[in-house]
Amino acid sequence: MPFIDRIRKYKSLSIVGLEKNTGKTECLNYVLRRMAQTQTQVAVTSIGIDGERVDLVKSTPKPEIYIEPGMYFTTLSRYYLEKRFCAEICEVDNGSAVLGGLVTARALERGKIILAGPSDTVSLARWVEQAPIKWQAGLALVDGALSRMSLASPAVTQAMILTTGAAYSANMTRLLGRTRFVYDTLCLPAVPKELAGRCGEVVRGVWAVDERGELRDLGIHSTLSAQDVTKIVHSGERRIFIPGVVSNTLLDKLGHQKEVNGMELIIRDFSRLFTEPDVFYRFLKEGGKISTILKTNLIAVCINPWSPEGYHLNATELETRMQEVLELPVYNIKRLEK
Amino acid sequence: MTEHIEGLKYLTGKLELSGSRPVRYLMQTPFCTNRQALEKGFDILQAALDLVTDPARLPDCMRLNHLFSQIHDIQGTLQAVTDKSILDEIELFEIKYFAFLCSDISRLLNDMGFTHEPLYPLNEVKAMLDPDGTGVVSFYIYNSYSQSLASARDRLKNTDPGEQPGEWETLRQAVDKAELEVREELSQRISEHSAVLRENFDTLTRIEIWFAKACLAKRYRLVRPEFIPDDGPEFLAIEGMFHPQIADSLEDSGNSFQPVSIRLESGPCLLTGANMSGKTVVLKTVSLVQTLAQYGFFVPAGKARLSMIDELFVVSGDRQDQLRGLSSFAAEMLELNHIFAAVKKGTRMLVLIDEPARTTNPNEGMALVSALADFFTLYRITALISTHFGDMKLSCRKLRVKGFTRQSVVTGEVNAQNINKYIDYSLVEDMDGLVPEEALRIARLLGVDDSFLELAKKYVK
Repeated sequence: MPFIDRIRKYKSLSIVGLEKNTGKTECLNYVLRRMAQTQTQVAVTSIGIDGERVDLVKSTPKPEIYIEPGMYFTTLSRYYLEKRFCAEICEVDNGSAVLGGLVTARALERGKIILAGPSDTVSLARWVEQAPIKWQAGLALVDGALSRMSLASPAVTQAMILTTGAAYSANMTRLLGRTRFVYDTLCLPAVPKELAGRCGEVVRGVWAVDERGELRDLGIHSTLSAQDVTKIVHSGERRIFIPGVVSNTLLDKLGHQKEVNGMELIIRDFSRLFTEPDVFYRFLKEGGKISTILKTNLIAVCINPWSPEGYHLNATELETRMQEVLELPVYNIKRLEK
Repeated sequence: MTEHIEGLKYLTGKLELSGSRPVRYLMQTPFCTNRQALEKGFDILQAALDLVTDPARLPDCMRLNHLFSQIHDIQGTLQAVTDKSILDEIELFEIKYFAFLCSDISRLLNDMGFTHEPLYPLNEVKAMLDPDGTGVVSFYIYNSYSQSLASARDRLKNTDPGEQPGEWETLRQAVDKAELEVREELSQRISEHSAVLRENFDTLTRIEIWFAKACLAKRYRLVRPEFIPDDGPEFLAIEGMFHPQIADSLEDSGNSFQPVSIRLESGPCLLTGANMSGKTVVLKTVSLVQTLAQYGFFVPAGKARLSMIDELFVVSGDRQDQLRGLSSFAAEMLELNHIFAAVKKGTRMLVLIDEPARTTNPNEGMALVSALADFFTLYRITALISTHFGDMKLSCRKLRVKGFTRQSVVTGEVNAQNINKYIDYSLVEDMDGLVPEEALRIARLLGVDDSFLELAKKYVK
């Protein structure tokens, strides 16, 4: 199982989908089932959804995950109580979850459950960090999200798997382009450790970073208003750290400056970048650099040639072409399962 | 808890509490007027302070803090227990977790010799929720609870939900039913212990607050106040009192707080002193000491002998009543009137008034202050009243802040930041009742425009 062997090199892994129905759940269930055959203790959770979006939780139920015996899993208490298999509650954390407490339990049988765990990056990072200590987990597995639905970034895990497929587009070229774009944002380089530590403590604002890695507050609170975007663009700073969201407009304006070459934009992680591919690539082409504080290693891409509407792409062709575009192992989970 | 006493919120904010639960409990603490209850509390606090100041107990204290941080806010679950609801698995886990935590904390406190706030042993509850006696805190509906549950689970295990979905569903429902029966019975048995569970929950919160108060006392060198008998002539004697919030902020700017001693008898006492000499700080510190004591804290002083009061009145004139359409004078008069009413009801009180009648004309202002002194003399009310009015020929006791110690200071040498180095804040008995007239001098030292001050000088009588 080359796929599983690759995963076992890491202590934590997130699985994210390019789009809904790109096979993220199948991929997660596959990994869980295969990991159950190894000696590695697994703890699994999913990025939760924050309270304000509770209506979304109701309208789009999260998919059910199959938990294998012996595995630890963390979910909202209400989902825990809905499960129909035997598990042993090990911890209840009533901390900050808006939708109720989180329960961590050890499965005594195989069974399915809806997972919704920590809903912000700090709590998720803590979960990943504590999984090996509290539950002796050799692998902390996170059902992640790429969308803006969640505040928690899957970049807190060491490794990541991206699922992509026909659900995004029936046009293979478009699908390849989009996947490549997400791949490129995931592969953005990390800043040096010391700087990452310093930046990690900052959650808002816009900061200039000097040669020695010292941060200076530019006194700009948001990055979303047109006024603030103009302030950032005209600040004349060559190295800017933005812990919050980097919008398309902002990156576009920065990319149209005279002296883009040598400019460095530091972001928290790929999930804070809300830009269109053309804007992203132009900034890089003009000599701009984008670095991240949290960096995860994309270790594989899983494809799902089927779309929920019923049409499908040629699986072999998709696999081959994806492989060419990405310089990364590409797997078709359906085929692996056969 | 009253929040308007300056410095109280600052100090309670320094308490190391494990979350909003003990903070809420603390905020509900009443201003205690029961001598016995306070003395008992101080005994406990002293025992906790002895432990937190003993270097050999440091590991124990750290472990205790850690255990406090592990307490979950299970008030919802406790309510369900009291209501005799059927508890779900998570609630049962919470009860088990709590019972085990109680044992751990109880054992540790016993080892430490802290026996003032005993916890009820919850052995029966523990045994109920750990039927196999594993001693592990995790929980599920164990097979050993019921033979029918065990066999239903067994049958379910040997059925594949994919191949025999109907059969599986039937068996699964049988398991659900058997689990419900177990939960029902467990809940019923646990509800018999609802009183002790709740009692322990409250006790744990109290213990946590005692230890947090002890750590605060250690950090700020607070001392146990002594309550003096009601009938003696002495009302209050505080030696070396300080105001932690102001002391901290002075320390941040490289200065230090000069502790001050004060003694009050029943009846009024006027407090005079130059501008910036710290009269207001004296009032604030006395009010903080008295308030902390009656909320069961040790107090910021070298030694403190206090009287037990029902109510503390602080009139400082800086209330924002103007927003309600009242002038500062009107607001002050209404506050004073509130005090007069309480006096006539016979309330035991301490009254602290900062520069009363300062916002009206000096002639009537002096009349009002004199009347206050007479009124408090008549009713034998202990009141400390700061004022700039002098020569009122009042027979009551007067204290004065010593004030500027050095006569020759170069203009520009003193500023708002360093002025406290030039002032002696101690209080002295003032026999002549003349107020120091140093306003112009201080203004000069602060570098206020010379030509302006020359103009002012012409008018000084």
